[in-house]
Amino acid sequence: MPPKPVPKTKPKRGIFHKFKGNLEAIIVGVKYFFDPERFTLVYPKEYTKLREGYRGFIVLIKDKCIHCASCARICPASAMKMIRIPQKDPKTGKTKMVMWPVINYQRCIFCGMCVDVCPTEALYHVPYHDVVYENLAEMDIDLESFTKPPEYKTAKEGIPVRYVIDEEKGLVKVPYKEGEEK
Amino acid sequence: MNWIELIIKIIIWPPLWQLIVLGLIVPLVVVIGILWFERKTAARVQRRFGPLHVSPQLGGALQLIADLMRYAFQEVIIPKTVDKGVFLLAPLTALVLSIVPLVAVPFTSVARWWPIPMDYSVLISLALSTVSAIFIVLASWASNNKFSIIGGMRESYMITAYEIAIIISILSTAAMTLSYNFVDVVNAQEGWKWFAVLNPLAFLAAFIGVLMATSGFPFEIPESENEVVAGPYTEYSGLLYGVNMGAAYIKRFVYSVLITLAFFGGWLPYHPGTGFLAGYLYPSIIVVIKATILMAIFSFLRAVYGRYRLDQALDFAWKILFPLALFGLGLGILEAYLGLI
Repeated sequence: MPPKPVPKTKPKRGIFHKFKGNLEAIIVGVKYFFDPERFTLVYPKEYTKLREGYRGFIVLIKDKCIHCASCARICPASAMKMIRIPQKDPKTGKTKMVMWPVINYQRCIFCGMCVDVCPTEALYHVPYHDVVYENLAEMDIDLESFTKPPEYKTAKEGIPVRYVIDEEKGLVKVPYKEGEEK
Repeated sequence: MNWIELIIKIIIWPPLWQLIVLGLIVPLVVVIGILWFERKTAARVQRRFGPLHVSPQLGGALQLIADLMRYAFQEVIIPKTVDKGVFLLAPLTALVLSIVPLVAVPFTSVARWWPIPMDYSVLISLALSTVSAIFIVLASWASNNKFSIIGGMRESYMITAYEIAIIISILSTAAMTLSYNFVDVVNAQEGWKWFAVLNPLAFLAAFIGVLMATSGFPFEIPESENEVVAGPYTEYSGLLYGVNMGAAYIKRFVYSVLITLAFFGGWLPYHPGTGFLAGYLYPSIIVVIKATILMAIFSFLRAVYGRYRLDQALDFAWKILFPLALFGLGLGILEAYLGLI
């Protein structure tokens, strides 16, 4: 059942209410002028410390992978795909084609379905997203670099900060202290 | 040495000093500071940083110099469809005419340093201050652009609304002192009896009227960026756009000087002495500082207010501001009758 429409309360008319409203607005402005609580992130000098479980870039643990291709099948953006690589079988000594997942970050939407669906937990997210690529071809990751966490360049020197929701002030930026997990 | 003395004599010749130094060079410096203050204040109140990366140590102040350079060296594009002569002349005329009221404004009480006799200076300066607005309408008409014409029409509506309120409220000080002489008006405020305190209604009306006249923020209607691109200035680019903006800010400065003299005691804590320094330079500096503080208050309002619609602003101007100015005039006459001044 849709909620009942509530009649809008009309703003109070009259000169004195208008004057009062204007005065209140100016007082709020003056208050913020003398006590500004800025939440702009000055990016290279500060960066947001992301929470645990953040869905950042995806890394493959090669030893755990069982070549089942579930990740490639579930990927909604077709970013993950399987490639065939010739590999020697240590028991029989024969060379055969083995499937490995690779990812294309031009397509990836960081939904995390591949990580969730992996039966052996061979995929995991790294908790950051600020990685710089020089061209689009670089974003098509090969198997070798898919097994390593991507290089995390930009905000290494900055101060980690976190945004908290304050009861009175709204969104507030506070510096992050080590070991303060919530 | 003769040459230097001659040049100094020419510079401190009152008409040149007031029109060129106090009317053009000082406002340019003040406007750069005020624009920086305006952007930083709006950012502070809205919880941002404002201009920062150009010079972090100076709080981004060099950003304004960079903007100025950009306006100065950009190509001036003159579209084919405009009325060329009027298009070029209108902003320049508006700039000159917005400085002209300063000729009838005394910056000191010593008669030697007045550009013209000051017997009717309140009337003359108010009359001259209303001339330049018509050239904004003319510029918009010459632009042959629908946004310009809409902006110009809005400007012409606003002129009729604010002009009368400003004139009545500043003339109320003439009623209080029974004199059209700005020097008498200022001298009557001796001993911290500022007319802004004695007659707050007239001051409020003049303040809001100046906000309207100079497109201050609740009434930034002619040039509202997200409705009509830049209002009357849509077709202007480069230096001509800079001249337009300069004319608007000089107009605000001149009105601030008028309000300073009429309501904030002009040069008053200081008593002009003899000679150029004590008689002319120091009083002018005091008046300019007071006017700058007033301009800073004008630009602070940008951080707080949104923009009124045209009909709301006209409604406000005719139904509240005009009666407020009349009440101010009445209060002034009453105070003069009771001998409070």
